[in-house]
Amino acid sequence: MQEGVNYQELSRRYGFAPKPESASRLTQLVSRQDSDLDEIAKVINKDPVLRKRLLRVANPDAENEIEYAVETVEDALMRNGMGCVLVLAMGTPLALALTKTFQTMLSLKLEMIDPSEAECLQGDHLLGTIHFSDKVEGEVYLRMNIASARAIAAGILGMSPEELTDTNEIKDAAGELLNIMTGNFKSNLCDAGLDCRLQPPEVKLSNNFHTPSVAGGGVERIALRAGKIHLFVDVTANPWND
Amino acid sequence: MPIKILSVDDSRTIRLIVGRSLRPYDCILCEAANGEEGLVAAAREKPDIILLDVTMPVMDGVTMLTKLKEDPALKSIPVIMLTAESGRDNVIHIARLGVRDYLVKPFKEEQLIDKVGRIVQLKKKEVSAPVAAPVPAV
Repeated sequence: MQEGVNYQELSRRYGFAPKPESASRLTQLVSRQDSDLDEIAKVINKDPVLRKRLLRVANPDAENEIEYAVETVEDALMRNGMGCVLVLAMGTPLALALTKTFQTMLSLKLEMIDPSEAECLQGDHLLGTIHFSDKVEGEVYLRMNIASARAIAAGILGMSPEELTDTNEIKDAAGELLNIMTGNFKSNLCDAGLDCRLQPPEVKLSNNFHTPSVAGGGVERIALRAGKIHLFVDVTANPWND
Repeated sequence: MPIKILSVDDSRTIRLIVGRSLRPYDCILCEAANGEEGLVAAAREKPDIILLDVTMPVMDGVTMLTKLKEDPALKSIPVIMLTAESGRDNVIHIARLGVRDYLVKPFKEEQLIDKVGRIVQLKKKEVSAPVAAPVPAV
C-alpha cells in the first residue's frame, strides 16, 4: 500500500456509502471548541430534522410543539450549549445505521418517530449499552421489548421468532445491532478529530432504565418504529473530555 | 479442494450470517471469536482468506492484522475487514497494513460473496452435497 493513498480513493475502492453531510459538518464544528454558535445555527436551520430534534431536546418537558418555551435554534443553542449539538450530530449516524441495518438485514423500513408517540417499555425489556471514551465520553443505550428483540434476532438469523429460543442469541443480535450503530457514529466522531474508543456492548434484561444526566454534556432520546417493533436509542455525550 | 475461510468476529450473529452466506459454496468455514483465537486458527488452518472484525475483546482486529502481516508464514493470507467502523484514519491505517478489501456493516450477503469471490474462486456446491457445519477454531 502506497504512503500517499488517500481516504477518497479507498472509499471508492471499498465501495463505502457517502456519509450524511450535515452530521459530519456539525461534528466538525463542535470539535473545534471555538466554533461560532451562529455558524452552528446555520447548519441546523438548513436541516429540518436536526432543527426539530434540537428543539425537542431543548424542551424536555413539553408534550408537543405548542408547549415549547424555546422556539428558535439560536435560543436552544444558548440554553443547552455544545454538548447538546454533539448528541444531535451523533444521533444522525446512529439512526441512519439502524435504518440501514433494518433495510439490509431484515428488509424492514424503520422510521424515526417522536419519542412521545412510541409505546413505553413496561416491565422487563432488553437494554444494550456501549460506553465510549477518549476526547469525547458517553454512552449509547439501545432498548426494546423482548418481542421486538426476538423478532429482530430471528430476522437477522433467518429464522422464525418461534424457532428462536436461546436468549443468548437474542442478546448477541442486539449487541451486534449496537456495534453496527456505534461503529458508524464513532467513524463520524473520529473524522472530526474527536477520537474515541468503544467498549464491547453489554446486553441485559432491565425494568427500570433512566437516562443518566451528564454534567456539561448532552442527552437525546431517539425513537424508531418498524411495524410492531419499537426501539429507543438514548445517547449521552460529554465533548472535550480532555 | 474446498476453499478454507476463517471468520474472526466476537459476534456469533455475524459468524452465523457469514456461515449462511457461504453455505451454497464449496468451502470450509473456521471461526474465531477474537484476534488471539484468530491468530491461532490462522496458523493451524492456513485459510485461503480471513474475514476480520475490528472491535473485539481480548485482541482487536487491527492488532491481529498487524501480527498476521509480521508473520512470514501468514502474511500472504488475504484479509477482508468486516466492520462497522469506516473512519478515515482507521481505514487508511488498515489499508497500509495490507488489507485486501473492506466491507462496512451492515452488509448484504451478496456483497460479502462478491468481495470474497474477487479474491478466491468460490464454486457452488453440487445440489446433493451435505451442508458442512463450521469448524470451531479453538
